[in-house]
Amino acid sequence: MNKWFKSGTPWIWMTGGAVSLSLIAVVGLLLLIGWRGLVYFWPHTIYQWEIDNNGQAEQLIGELHDSELVPTARLRATGLKLEGEEREVLERYLVKTGNREFVPLDFRWVLETNIRSRSTPKDLAVLERTTNGNFYGYIEQVLESGKAVDGDLHQQLQSRIDRVAEINDQVRELQHADIGAINYELEKLRLKERRLELDHALTPAAQQEIVAGRKALNDHYAQLEKQLFTLRDQTLRDSLVVKDMRGQMVTIPLSNVLDVNWPNDMNLLSKIGFWFHQIGKFVSDDPREANTEGGVFPAIFGTVFMVLLMTVIVTPLGVVAAVYLHEYAGKNVLTKFIRIAVINLAGVPSIVYGVFGLGFFVYVLGGSLDKLFYPEALPNPTFGSPGVIWSAITLAILTLPVVIVSTEEGLSRIPSAVRHGSLALGATKAETLWRIVLPMASPAIMTGLILAIARAAGEVAPLMLVGAVKLAPTLPMDGNFPYFHVERKFMHLGFHIFDVGFQSPNVEAARPLVYATSFLLVTVIVGLNLTAISIRNHLREKYRALDN
Amino acid sequence: MINVTPTMSQSESIDLVNLPTEKTALEIKNLDLFYGSKQALFDVSMKIPKGQVTAFIGPSGCGKSTLLRCINRMNDLVEICHIKGAITLNSQNIYDKSVDVAALRRRVGMVFQRPNPFPKSIYENVVYGLRLQGISDRRLLDEAVERSLRGAALWEEVKDRLHENAFGLSGGQQQRLVIARAIAIEPEVLLLDEPTSALDPISTLTIEELINELKSKYTVVIVTHNMQQAARVSDQTAFMYMGELIEYSDTNTIFTKPKMKKTEDYITGRYG
Repeated sequence: MNKWFKSGTPWIWMTGGAVSLSLIAVVGLLLLIGWRGLVYFWPHTIYQWEIDNNGQAEQLIGELHDSELVPTARLRATGLKLEGEEREVLERYLVKTGNREFVPLDFRWVLETNIRSRSTPKDLAVLERTTNGNFYGYIEQVLESGKAVDGDLHQQLQSRIDRVAEINDQVRELQHADIGAINYELEKLRLKERRLELDHALTPAAQQEIVAGRKALNDHYAQLEKQLFTLRDQTLRDSLVVKDMRGQMVTIPLSNVLDVNWPNDMNLLSKIGFWFHQIGKFVSDDPREANTEGGVFPAIFGTVFMVLLMTVIVTPLGVVAAVYLHEYAGKNVLTKFIRIAVINLAGVPSIVYGVFGLGFFVYVLGGSLDKLFYPEALPNPTFGSPGVIWSAITLAILTLPVVIVSTEEGLSRIPSAVRHGSLALGATKAETLWRIVLPMASPAIMTGLILAIARAAGEVAPLMLVGAVKLAPTLPMDGNFPYFHVERKFMHLGFHIFDVGFQSPNVEAARPLVYATSFLLVTVIVGLNLTAISIRNHLREKYRALDN
Repeated sequence: MINVTPTMSQSESIDLVNLPTEKTALEIKNLDLFYGSKQALFDVSMKIPKGQVTAFIGPSGCGKSTLLRCINRMNDLVEICHIKGAITLNSQNIYDKSVDVAALRRRVGMVFQRPNPFPKSIYENVVYGLRLQGISDRRLLDEAVERSLRGAALWEEVKDRLHENAFGLSGGQQQRLVIARAIAIEPEVLLLDEPTSALDPISTLTIEELINELKSKYTVVIVTHNMQQAARVSDQTAFMYMGELIEYSDTNTIFTKPKMKKTEDYITGRYG
């Protein structure tokens, strides 16, 4: 035994075991959120149950969302009779019934003893709607201007849905691009007037010009509005008659329908197609219904935009600070102290950075900017309220230590022979740094950035204070000059997960979205990191002097 | 005693003490050098003639490299190092406060023990010094590259791969590239700090031949621990010991009839 210990075998087992545990943890985590998240997009079978509701037959249509085992005794305790039941536990199903406007709750528990029969009719349809969630039922008729349409139901429906989608695209385009631009211009005009007023330079001529400009814009607006209403009216032409689970005919305007499909009638291939289609919609659509439906595109965009902005801020700052600390600062106690302080900054809880960001950047810095450059907009803040730029700066400070530390490490690994070679050719220290040392240290700088991105992209707590919101009406980038609107609030995947998971009005419906969004967040971070790593590898290849 | 038959033609012996100013490239006057409180060079004085090869020899730690590094002020990089005395380059004291160190190093080039090319292409390595001076005319740079690489006897080997990374070259080629890089900015003096100590014998031979050619255009000062090399390439030899200049005269004299006992002991291999 003693010999076995001395041989080092247990040591190898222990170290190997630690590695395996870490691996299992990582793979398990990815598998869990990946599986739970991706299954959400798979077409679910729609069941039709005949259930016994106090002796009366009732029809229930919906997806099987979850099931659990409940002890019979507990059920009896709640007042259920369950005569002649000998089993210890009974199964209970959670059914998502949809049709939110006709039922008090769109999720419902059903006990297995109440179920008389279950079937999966092929013509059961799922209607994905813009409001009130899914609708389940049998499509009976397609109406055009109130009259039933002949011909193949599926085909008629598809062409009409496409038509509505096309018109809706036009509506969106009109709203965001044209009308958005007019509103932006109107606001600019208002600010211009206010600025002239503040400067006491609002001459009658200038006022006249502004009034004229406003009139022209308003006329244009009225014109566009008319166009918008015409388009909206067009979407109201068609509607559907659907028989729901109560057996009643419900008319649903097609303008409210995004997609119709018959999951029970799909083969594997069309299910896979459907799955990809749903994932595509998830990453490219805007969220709907308090973020519980629809996609997460603005959150993806916001996350990536904020991280890139942070990178742009933290890189020069961190590199310059590291260069000073490593190359210029004297090797004394003060430098040592500063270095320790910088490293310790990395240990400060991130929410503290959030508080600092809110107190200093948003209120002090942003407030001063507003007073200096945007007095015409006051009391409405421009930079003086949380926004993507403040989030980026706050996270830049949060990640500054890693960039400084890895840059310093990189600088210290440059052989002095190369520096001397440059100096001996008549280069000054600054020229040597700029032309030789920094390029050679660039892989190390990239390593710092990779760590910074990994940390920043997953950070949520400080963002809640300095810019991330549940729903941002506009992206931080659009077609209106100056195109980047860094003072705007933005949506963030991490905050989206928190919001959907904990603040949602419909927790059951939101749970799969939490997994899907988490998986997406991980994917986005991995994507950002892989990009940075490939850049670093390219740089390493270019400056591989260190390995010689 | 080593039988020295100089393989390369050596100039007539000259009077190193009373060397006329116009023939003097460098004059070192009463140079003391300290690392902190430790003195490394003791009252060194010598005149280095123009257009010739001067070798510094001596056992390890005798201060020969330190002395060499004084000539282009590379010792400035060592914080604890300070100097008394003077070195004049064309009658100007290079330790004068008004001297721009970068400009001085353009006039006094240096090649180090181990080849230290930059992680750039061969071409960019050679033009590095020129780019520092703000020269970006493609034609001028191309000319300089060819001239320098020819001057360093490397042109024929690399002319077809000028834009490949310099690390693809062998050690000897890298050292010649570094020499080309140094002569591209046309210095007056070229300092070689044991330039062949990291190279194989054939590369060493190539570099030695090169040194002989270089002296037609530049004043060369070489530090070597290899006495045969000093004998082969240099016109003057200075023997240093424990930070002192023991003997300095033309190479023939040093190797055939040294005046000092210490010199004789060293070159006969009794210590070092």
